[in-house]
Amino acid sequence: MPRVSPPHGQEPVRGGPGTAKRVYAWFEQRLQLEGPVKDAALHPVPRSTASWWYVFGSAAFTLLLLQIVTGVLLALVYVPSAGEAWSSLNVLNHQIPLGWFLRALHGWGSNFMVAIVLIHMAQVFLFGAYKFPRELTWILGVFLLLMTLGMAFTGQVLRFDQDAYWGLGIGASILSRVPFIGGGLVHLLLGGPIIAGATLSRFFALHVFIIPGALLVFALLHIWMVLKLGINDWPMPGRLVRRATYMEEYNRLAHEDGIPFIPGAFWKDLAFSGAILAAVAVCAYVLGPFGPSGQPDPSIIQTVPKPDFFFLWIYTVLSYLPPEMETPFILIAPLIGIAILLAIPFWAGEGEKSWHRRPVAVLAVSTIAICFAVLTQLGTSTPWSPHMSAWSGDPIPVRYLQTATPLVRQGAVVFQAKQCRNCHSIGGAGGERGPALDDVATRMTLDQMRFKVVSGGGNMPAYGKNLSAAEIEALVSFLETLHPANEPPAYDASRRAVDESRSQPNAGAPPANPAANRGTNP
Amino acid sequence: MRFTASALLACGAALLGGCGHTPGYPPNPILRPTAVTDFATLYSQNCAACHGANGQNGPSIDLANPEYQALVDDATLRKWISGGMPGTEMPAFAESQGGMLTDAQVNALIAGMRRQWSRPDAFGGTAPPAYAQTAVGDPHRGEASYEAHCAICHAATHEQGHEQVTSPMYLALVGDQALRTIMIAGRPDIGQPDWRHDGPGGKAGVPLSTQDVDDIGTYLASLRTMGQQVTTGTSSAQAKSAAPAGR
Ligand code: HEC
Ligand code: HEC
Ligand code: HEC
Repeated sequence: MPRVSPPHGQEPVRGGPGTAKRVYAWFEQRLQLEGPVKDAALHPVPRSTASWWYVFGSAAFTLLLLQIVTGVLLALVYVPSAGEAWSSLNVLNHQIPLGWFLRALHGWGSNFMVAIVLIHMAQVFLFGAYKFPRELTWILGVFLLLMTLGMAFTGQVLRFDQDAYWGLGIGASILSRVPFIGGGLVHLLLGGPIIAGATLSRFFALHVFIIPGALLVFALLHIWMVLKLGINDWPMPGRLVRRATYMEEYNRLAHEDGIPFIPGAFWKDLAFSGAILAAVAVCAYVLGPFGPSGQPDPSIIQTVPKPDFFFLWIYTVLSYLPPEMETPFILIAPLIGIAILLAIPFWAGEGEKSWHRRPVAVLAVSTIAICFAVLTQLGTSTPWSPHMSAWSGDPIPVRYLQTATPLVRQGAVVFQAKQCRNCHSIGGAGGERGPALDDVATRMTLDQMRFKVVSGGGNMPAYGKNLSAAEIEALVSFLETLHPANEPPAYDASRRAVDESRSQPNAGAPPANPAANRGTNP
Repeated sequence: MRFTASALLACGAALLGGCGHTPGYPPNPILRPTAVTDFATLYSQNCAACHGANGQNGPSIDLANPEYQALVDDATLRKWISGGMPGTEMPAFAESQGGMLTDAQVNALIAGMRRQWSRPDAFGGTAPPAYAQTAVGDPHRGEASYEAHCAICHAATHEQGHEQVTSPMYLALVGDQALRTIMIAGRPDIGQPDWRHDGPGGKAGVPLSTQDVDDIGTYLASLRTMGQQVTTGTSSAQAKSAAPAGR
């Protein structure tokens, strides 16, 4: 049989048995891709790099491909106009078969991509893979991270719902703090002085053309360098990187104890990428797409805008900072962070790779990871987080009113009407600024509660001037019923003496329960 | 990609196969708050806080009482809901009065209450005393009527604590109309009888006449004026600012 497709053949095709082969040969003769592809696929890599630790980069790329595919499909339906964006998402959600699933894949794909890119980065850092000669690979990687975050942010703006609207508003107000050029930057970001149609066009262009284009080019360059420079060898304590000798050492390692990249190392990449895609699909299927929440409209004030989970930690930090520190932190901290990331390979381009010998690096990564986790957790659970104004008119639990007197019932009305529940929960519903009041009567006597309501203190507003005497009396008589049936309310000993001498002829009997004739909750 | 493909296929199959329950399927689009006309949503976001989850067992009047629904006409309901009851905690809800609801939403609330809570022939053929007080009552006669009809359950010394209906503190917070409404339509959710059963043991005694109700109302109001010296009273501005921020 004649040799049909010589790898770099210049001879004309002389016919062969299979049409497929002939077609292949026709293309190969012109494209001449087989050689480089084979080179790339079969190039030897050090045996130790065929590790499950080395799968995150390829998974990130797989997710990028998923985002591109799902993104293109979404763009077929999405209308990037201020008037129609929101409703076109609802069309996708409800009128196009599996449209909601497509949105969910894209949304979860985005979350996964951010997470995987971060993990990839931490792994590369801990394995010293940014050192010579892979400095540029790392630097491109830093830009890839920034672009991934940029995609996440611009993407949620395209949702153009209330969350997007307020997120953008907060972003703009951060930018506006830049000295001198703040106003100009806001104008540039929003395409005008306010959030409007032009804003959406701008973000659409960013999200669909500009950032993805750059992202793809950078990612391909990044991969090209990985192929050309070889996958980082497994760090061994004591094996130092030196500019003069590293290349030679690496080549020796790859050739003497090497395996071909495909299938030696590649099958793990494939398996992990597949697992990640499956995870995205499961999340998308079970948890569904993100938003759109309510229509974007600044005139709707009944809204609880929620920052993306990913940016929550920033809110926490900001709420801890004294106000005069906010602007410097917002503006300078990110720049310093990026500068440090970019400087790392130049600052520590040689030397020890193994994390066993780099305690500072390990400490830094773990500190950052723990801070991120703790701040995010605080952001979701502390009073300043979005659901502090969670009260939406929940009723008073029925059991709290079963034996109520008319005055107690009026107290409950006042409690609801004055929105004490914006800060206090009862029956599990309400804000978290103040303590839950379900058993407040076991902690405080009537007089203490009256004092607290009238004079406030410790973040509790003073209501003395805003409530009538009758309202206060009703309110505290309602609060006084808030205690478990088996636990008597707190009681002032001096009052007990007065009450007993007045109404208890037989001194041996247990003291009268002061709430007995005011009603208690069972 | 194989994984996604099979996951996609599985999901597609689940959807088409009609096992129906797709956990991730998004909820219906969130309407602009003023576009919501669903009674259940409107009621639970705006009224349940004070009038109870299903129109009963809340701290304030049980709107789900069929006798109440039979007693009050649409125009009155609209007046109270739109404008609130000045001097009480009942807030004004109409946008024109500083509230958050459109006229269409107020109408949806009224229609919804009628649909869910009114029952034909709630009064069993007897005509109740008039909903609104037109004549001025006599407080002394009122006191006597109170003793005859109400004190059996609301005596100052009653051990179960029903004494506070006449307490100035309570009366300072509740409006004349609410007292009258309670007397006539009762509050089945808390055990307050209607006008036919105000009497010893809640048994059908002599039903209250319109005049009895006028008198008792005036009597209770006179007790309130005594209490006014201790209280400053709620201004209508406060009642308005109390409108809960619905979502
Ligand atoms: C702005 C938020 C806020 C609102 C609104 C608010 N509270 Fe408070 N409340 C607090 C905070 C915070 C505390 C804890 C104060 C402290 O540290 O002593 C508190 C404490 C209390 C306490 C003492 C509880 C305890 O266990 O120590 C009572 C009683 C109370 N509030 C009642 C009310 C009532 C009644 C209203 C409505 C009229 C109300 N609060 C409205 C924030 C609020
Ligand atoms: C059969 C006994 C009974 C009679 C008679 C009776 N009530 Fe009541 N009333 C109750 C009960 C039970 C409650 C609920 C418990 C409570 O609030 O103390 C109540 C509650 C009330 C309330 C408070 C309602 C609220 O929303 O908080 C008012 C006002 C009231 N009654 C007025 C009257 C008046 C006026 C009369 C006489 C015309 C009267 N009641 C006759 C049993 C009675
Ligand atoms: C902050 C508490 C509060 C909320 C919220 C509230 N109400 Fe009321 N409502 C009251 C009180 C208190 C009264 C009795 C006023 C009085 O004491 O005279 C009342 C009275 C009424 C009355 C008149 C009863 C009568 O005597 O005829 C109607 C009707 C009513 N409410 C409907 C509603 C509807 C509908 C909503 C929701 C849109 C609502 N209320 C929300 C507190 C509230």
